[in-house]
Amino acid sequence: MPTIPYPNILLDALEIGVIIIDDQFKVRYWNKWLEINTGIEPAKIVGENLQTFYPQIDYKVFSRKIRTTLRLHSPTFYDASLQNRFLEIPRTKITTSLLTTMQLQVTIAPYIPEQSMVMVSIYDISDLHELKLNLQHQMQTIAKLNDELYREKAIIDSNLLIAKIDSDCCVLEVTQAFVTFFGYKRESLLGRPLSYVFGEGSIDFDSKHMRDVIASQQRWSGEVKAFLENGDGIWLDAVVNPITDDNHEIRSYTVIFHDISDKKRIELLSITDPLTKLFNRRKFDEVFEQMIMRQHWNKDASFSLIMIDIDHFKRLNDTYGHQVGDKVLMETAQVLTQTVRTGDVLARWGGEEFACLLPDVNVEKALHVAQKLRSAIEMLDIPEAGVITASLGVSLYKIGDTEESLIQRADTALYRAKENGRNRVESY
Amino acid sequence: MENKQFSGDHLDVLKELVNIAVGNATASIADLLQAFGRMHIPQITISDMEGLNRHIKNSIPEQQQNYVTKQLFGGVFSGEFIFVISDSSALNLGYHLYDADEPPSEGDILDAVIELTNILSATIISRLTEELNTKVQFFVPSTEIIAGNDLISPEDLLNYHQIIIISTQMEFEHQNINGQIFILTKDEMIESLKALIDQKLEELYS
Repeated sequence: MPTIPYPNILLDALEIGVIIIDDQFKVRYWNKWLEINTGIEPAKIVGENLQTFYPQIDYKVFSRKIRTTLRLHSPTFYDASLQNRFLEIPRTKITTSLLTTMQLQVTIAPYIPEQSMVMVSIYDISDLHELKLNLQHQMQTIAKLNDELYREKAIIDSNLLIAKIDSDCCVLEVTQAFVTFFGYKRESLLGRPLSYVFGEGSIDFDSKHMRDVIASQQRWSGEVKAFLENGDGIWLDAVVNPITDDNHEIRSYTVIFHDISDKKRIELLSITDPLTKLFNRRKFDEVFEQMIMRQHWNKDASFSLIMIDIDHFKRLNDTYGHQVGDKVLMETAQVLTQTVRTGDVLARWGGEEFACLLPDVNVEKALHVAQKLRSAIEMLDIPEAGVITASLGVSLYKIGDTEESLIQRADTALYRAKENGRNRVESY
Repeated sequence: MENKQFSGDHLDVLKELVNIAVGNATASIADLLQAFGRMHIPQITISDMEGLNRHIKNSIPEQQQNYVTKQLFGGVFSGEFIFVISDSSALNLGYHLYDADEPPSEGDILDAVIELTNILSATIISRLTEELNTKVQFFVPSTEIIAGNDLISPEDLLNYHQIIIISTQMEFEHQNINGQIFILTKDEMIESLKALIDQKLEELYS
């Protein structure tokens, strides 16, 4: 006894396809949804065999599913995860559609088992399927990006010297390249201040510099000197970058290092006299020009130029040979380096002549330093060369002076020192 | 895990009922799929998610690629039916059900796995619930291919407390098809299952 008077109205109102069919595939009911979406009117298909309209369906499988449903009194299903395996129904969606036919979810439920009839419910799951396909595509893209990221991370890890530090300059992470380059074990670095890596003797890379940078929460780059675990000194170019979280709060810093020791060596060679290891004339001229450019010099705080010429150097060379002459130049350079004040600039001017720039001096101070230099040379003990002396000419910068005028006055003073018996200091 | 709600009698009855249901499934498969085989005596354990994870890992080889079909069933006795079949068994099943000359397509294999799961779940669960005088509603099953035996996601491990695990193994030697069945019910189902078994016991001994 039917409890619902008009079940066909109900079935036609559903937003799914409903077929009532027997085990010989004779269609008993074809609802409105199917009529609209397939274009087949119920009047044409009801009472007919489904095979006439849809010969492409695998009827052996369909038959088995109907039999299972009827035998077990339980619904059976078609797999809905891949291609459509039941009716082919065109899809009308025009925008952003990956599917031209509907992806269906098909459930076969018992209807009147005694008459071998089942009800096939057809759900359009195309939107869901599209979302799934899109998601799979996105997941594949993400997986590909992850692979690339992993490869690039591996390249970075094995090639770049990078340390991640916290706001106290303590090491949080380091790359393998960093560990290998500095010769430390990773465990011995983590949690330690970065200055530990650079050795106690490194003043250029004292935490102060880095701490100031970190305190200012800004990007910084510069050159630092560091020491390897074996004690070798190296030069590094360092770039410090803050790492912020989603709220723009700084959580840590990356420090990227680049070994510039070779560059530094070449740079040093270009400004150094190969024999004496003092600055060469080119570097001296550069420093001299910068010193002249400074505007703050006055009578009490000026700067001085001392020209130093080794006495009778030509005779010494001729008598004892060039090897002894070179040794005298080297020893003189060394003693001058030891005697000048910190901040004074010493260079080989050419031949047996040296030049020295003394910042922040007056005449008296300049003369005092010059006398010390003369005395230090006189004290040199080079047995194969005998007693070595030098004559020194001192000039003090005055407003309006140029490099040429200052050199000319120092040269004149030097000439006077030579004239007045050598091994002495004169000023002009 | 020690179960304080289920007595030994309850477990014995459940084992007996599951045995009958599994026997029924074997007959149904022989009839509907023309595959003749056997099912092992089901094991019934009550565990937590960690235990279930261990149980699955012990039952399924680590290197195996699996078709894992999950189907929910609802009612007074509700839960999840899981059927796990290796890719080689699934391929054999595809050959058997689609008896094509060419190797079955991925879609054929998936549909074959769904079909077998349908029969297994409908027979086992329906028979079990029929014995317990209750009804069950089946939901649409879904299959995914999973490499290895990590079938339980870490999130799932946190979701449930107590689970009844009914597990058995089916073998169709002639077709070279093997599979693992897990029927899982959670927390509150234990109480309703216990009540259903109590009714059954009363029915049997009255």
